[in-house]
Amino acid sequence: QVSVINTVDTSHEDMIHDAQMDYYGTRLATCSSDRSVKIFDVRNGGQILIADLRGHEGPVWQVAWAHPMYGNILASCSYDRKVIIWKEENGTWEKTYEYTGHDSSVNSVCWAPHDYGLILACGSSDGAISLLGYTGEGQWEVKKISNAHTIGCNAVSWAPAVVPGSLIEQPSGQKPNYIKRFASGGCDNLVKIWKEEDGQWKEEQKLEAHSDWVRDVAWAPSIGLPTSTIASCSQDGRVFIWTCDDASGSSWSPKLLHKFNDVVWHVSWSITANILAVSGGDNKVTLWKESVDGLWACISDVNKGQGGVSAGTEGQQNEQ
Amino acid sequence: PAAVPSQVVPGADPSARQLCFAWGPAEVLVCETLFGRRGGSLSPGEPGLGRALVPGALTGCGVAGSGEGAPSSSRVFVVRKDQDIYIQTLRKLFNESHGIFIGLQRSEEELAGKSRKAQLVQVSKNYRSVMRACMEDMHQAAISARDPALHSQYSTQVSILSAMELIWNLCEILFVEAATAGPLLLRLLDWVRLHVCDVDNMVREVLSSENPPKHELFWNVVDVFVLQGRLDEARHLLSREASADPTSVNMYRVLDDLMKKMPVPTLGNTQTLTEMELKWQHWHEECQRYLQNGTFASNSHMESICKILLGDEDAILEKKELMTTWYHFLVTRLLYSHPTVKPMELRMDLFLGGESSPEPLDTILMAAFEFEMHQVIKECSIALSNWWFVAHLTDLLDHCKLLQSHNLYFGSNMREFLLLEYASGLFSHHSLWQLGVDYFDHCPQYGRVYLELHIERIPLNTEQKALKVLRICEQRQMHEQVRSICKIMAMKALRNNRLGSALSWSIRAKDAAFATLISDRFLKDYCERGCFSDLDLIDNLGPSMLLSDRLTFLGKYREFHRLYGEKRFSEAAKLLLMLMTAHIAPCSFWMTLLTDALPLLEQKEVVFSAEQTYELMRCLEDLTAGKSEKQKFQDDEVETTKVEMLRLALARNLARVIVKEGTLEGS
Repeated sequence: QVSVINTVDTSHEDMIHDAQMDYYGTRLATCSSDRSVKIFDVRNGGQILIADLRGHEGPVWQVAWAHPMYGNILASCSYDRKVIIWKEENGTWEKTYEYTGHDSSVNSVCWAPHDYGLILACGSSDGAISLLGYTGEGQWEVKKISNAHTIGCNAVSWAPAVVPGSLIEQPSGQKPNYIKRFASGGCDNLVKIWKEEDGQWKEEQKLEAHSDWVRDVAWAPSIGLPTSTIASCSQDGRVFIWTCDDASGSSWSPKLLHKFNDVVWHVSWSITANILAVSGGDNKVTLWKESVDGLWACISDVNKGQGGVSAGTEGQQNEQ
Repeated sequence: PAAVPSQVVPGADPSARQLCFAWGPAEVLVCETLFGRRGGSLSPGEPGLGRALVPGALTGCGVAGSGEGAPSSSRVFVVRKDQDIYIQTLRKLFNESHGIFIGLQRSEEELAGKSRKAQLVQVSKNYRSVMRACMEDMHQAAISARDPALHSQYSTQVSILSAMELIWNLCEILFVEAATAGPLLLRLLDWVRLHVCDVDNMVREVLSSENPPKHELFWNVVDVFVLQGRLDEARHLLSREASADPTSVNMYRVLDDLMKKMPVPTLGNTQTLTEMELKWQHWHEECQRYLQNGTFASNSHMESICKILLGDEDAILEKKELMTTWYHFLVTRLLYSHPTVKPMELRMDLFLGGESSPEPLDTILMAAFEFEMHQVIKECSIALSNWWFVAHLTDLLDHCKLLQSHNLYFGSNMREFLLLEYASGLFSHHSLWQLGVDYFDHCPQYGRVYLELHIERIPLNTEQKALKVLRICEQRQMHEQVRSICKIMAMKALRNNRLGSALSWSIRAKDAAFATLISDRFLKDYCERGCFSDLDLIDNLGPSMLLSDRLTFLGKYREFHRLYGEKRFSEAAKLLLMLMTAHIAPCSFWMTLLTDALPLLEQKEVVFSAEQTYELMRCLEDLTAGKSEKQKFQDDEVETTKVEMLRLALARNLARVIVKEGTLEGS
């Protein structure tokens, strides 16, 4: 059973496209078709507007919080082809960097594991993926993967940081040799895995199983097992769970979670990666868990409805 | 698959299409949205593919009133699992059971057999006593609550806790203590007496009345005693009736005798099973005889009691209202059936009559009576909204070595799985998370990684909290988390301009880059204000000074100032020079250092030796030579004057020192 503990009235003047909690669940960032990004303090059931950030010239599709060790930093991406990075400085939020290197809508932004530094991956409808890395003193370095997906890239998601080999503590100042990877999903129906080699990003794997545009990808957090897991969802109504058993990352096998009756737009993992949330076109969010025998089972669905809280009643279904 | 429980978010606008969902650290976010507005909502087959909206529509996308339907809701719902909410009311339960849990994990495994079992039973009793204490508190809270909603919430909690204690008690009897048939039966009788309370008022009423035998419910109470195996109490009541009605004295004496002679297992059971069986057989036959030759024919109450003693199912079932539950029925049948043949046929159908279906509590108890431990755990997990119960019960059963066989798919086992779920839930609470740490510690497979993932999400609101979290991480050699937390705290301090705090955090994080950044800030502050802040910290850096070059410089430079303040001029001079010649000082600071040398050069006593003076001159020349023509042009008057003054001072010093050294040599 769940209860709503807080209803934040964002006062956005148009559709909300994304809402994200910060690391600690104390702040909420929302973005909307009204072109604004808003930040609220939501501690103890409250809702105080901290910032109303203007800078985008079109609907803002996603927001992403950076790791708190870098300060209070939020990234946003928009139809206006821009990626803006906002930072809280001396108590106020300001634009700290604006990237305009894409030729059309930027659909997805995702911060890399903090171990790699402050790096943001951005996927765009122009088919390219850019990686913006902070190099210090207000400077950002850009690496671009052109034609990552033909027609367009819809989603990017980083693999968790795993230090290969040794577990002994590195002497201070020395950076361990991380192998940086991330996954992307695109309009070419593919999920791709990218790996950094000698400072260059290369396509490492092509995962084919969907028959229509891939809408979202989510790389599961690591719980220490050598397996890697990625969830992908598509216009074709399917959600696949991809797993790779070996550390070299070479053999990925898909397992169909479920075939939904409508487009599936969004997949995301809980912190300890034991629950996958799937948002579909059918007015519902379903939560899935891997069961004893390796099969995925739906453990609940969250849907909308009017009136009081009650478990077990169906929300009002819409006609399409 | 079975029907999936549906959770409804109230108030969300049904005219909007889809739900956007995001995970928070302890909660989830839900809001209405319309997917498909980004990245091209058209699939390849549609015309105008690729770009979702026509050019020039940047301003017109999805604005309300564009004819696309009702304006969408601008609300975001923050949703949490109920267990996380009830954490507040169950806080005491969580705290106290934590102590019992830890005690159990550390308990003597070497104890074997009876003493181990006794130990485990005691643990079980402790858990139940904590549950009952919590129930009592909740009950008090319910009574004193003025707000009806709150009252209802507390009352619900009381009944849930009561059900939990009922189940746990049964599990303790059947699984933990797992006595043999005789003592087991006694325990079950106790269990029934304790938990089937609906009749208690009636019993009290009759017993306290002036003339119990005349009370209309008299026979009901006698029946209750018989059904619950409280034969002594039944006999006592009957004796009062007997004295009131002399005509049926004989009947009473017979019944009283039968009840007295019923062979019951005693705890210190010395008789063998065969002896027991023989006695019982003999007694059973005697009851049968009295019934058959019509001894009780004239009194239907007493006749039915005799039938009950004989274990007549129909006779027992007739007293359904007095037993109130099917498990009472079960235990009564067990009591009056053959001592060695104990089929635990539940026969719930007999009791419920086939109309109503079992409630969750019934399902759980049924599974327990059938010794299906895993089924009990599974059903409890489904029925209860919090993991506390199943986590602790399963852990106890695991310690009883009853859960060996089941290993779950992903390599963990049932016990660990449940403990992980329970402990994870604790992390959403601002102080109970500390209990969660201990639980994770006792999950050998995934405990550590779960702790790593959760501990990062604890808001570090205060320095104390950060230190607390740090200590936990350090104790467990969670180096990555230690570093991460220190970096976060350093960043926070820097943002609030607490340079000293930022510096000590970055030293603790062994973050050279950050230490350099902060040292620069310190130096910048010095240049602007002419003094240092946080002197204590800088003075006592010790070996951590070596973390970064800039930090080393900061420490040494401060040392220079100290030496100067203590009038140890030649040492100060030596240090100052070394800072430049050993390239510890950044070039940008050389001018400041040279300017600092001025007062030393103008001391009455000569401070710098000839060689040192030459070095200083060299440094000055390096500095000025290093400047490009453009820079020299940009240098303002102050700059040029400074350089001139320095040259002059150095020259004068050189002159004085040559004379001094020459004189000494000469004498």
